[in-house]
Amino acid sequence: MKHPLLKLEPLIWLLFGQGILLGTILLTPWVLVVGLAIPLGIVPADALSYERAAMLGSHIIGRVILLGLIALPLWKGAHHMRHTLIDFGGAERDALVAPLLYLLATIGSVMAVVAVVRI
Amino acid sequence: MAPSKPGSTRTAPPQLPDQFPFGGRYLAYTLFDLTGILYLLLGFVVLCAVWSLGSGEAAWNSVLDRHRSIFYIAFHAISLVGVIFVGIRFFSFFPKAQLPRIGPVKPPPKPVILATLYALWIGVTAFLSIVLAGGIF
Repeated sequence: MKHPLLKLEPLIWLLFGQGILLGTILLTPWVLVVGLAIPLGIVPADALSYERAAMLGSHIIGRVILLGLIALPLWKGAHHMRHTLIDFGGAERDALVAPLLYLLATIGSVMAVVAVVRI
Repeated sequence: MAPSKPGSTRTAPPQLPDQFPFGGRYLAYTLFDLTGILYLLLGFVVLCAVWSLGSGEAAWNSVLDRHRSIFYIAFHAISLVGVIFVGIRFFSFFPKAQLPRIGPVKPPPKPVILATLYALWIGVTAFLSIVLAGGIF
């Protein structure tokens, strides 16, 4: 019987690939503005006041972007961490590590759906 | 037809290359893999922020305050370097990974693919940065 992870490999690779491509494209402005420019005072904090952030985040396009911004990097991170651990520690523990990492990404993705719905 | 008995040749045990993990060309390979940790952390940091946005004004303001700590600023500075590194490395792979043709259709020339990817990245970054910074909407 095929290992369940092997059956899911095409889906995992799709999410991993999109995590690199779309995740990188979406993370760049978030990290630039929310992570650096606002905390450093380059951009006034009013730009993301609660009212404005909620207005942007509750729009359907905002919700889709936020979902991609959270879920896709999680899959990129989980898959790359899996391969880092194989490279450094061998494949013996992969049967345990891989499901744990993908479970983490799945939980994060489900929480991302809930988070964008409750804005 | 299968041989009557297994051959005597055995596969050598796998060996790590001499330069692994941080020597020569393996440096970029290993760093690219290690960005997985950054992306996983970034995903959860953004999740916390979006979750608090749904929890009300006090929770959202508390997230913005937390982002002003030196720890978060350092994390985001490292993350920005990591994200740009991933983008540049992945975009350099992307044109090489295209199929030579799909049916009668050939992919565009590699420089065109590369230019499109960078234009998309820079364009989306500029647009979303302006939106987040309050320039439009």
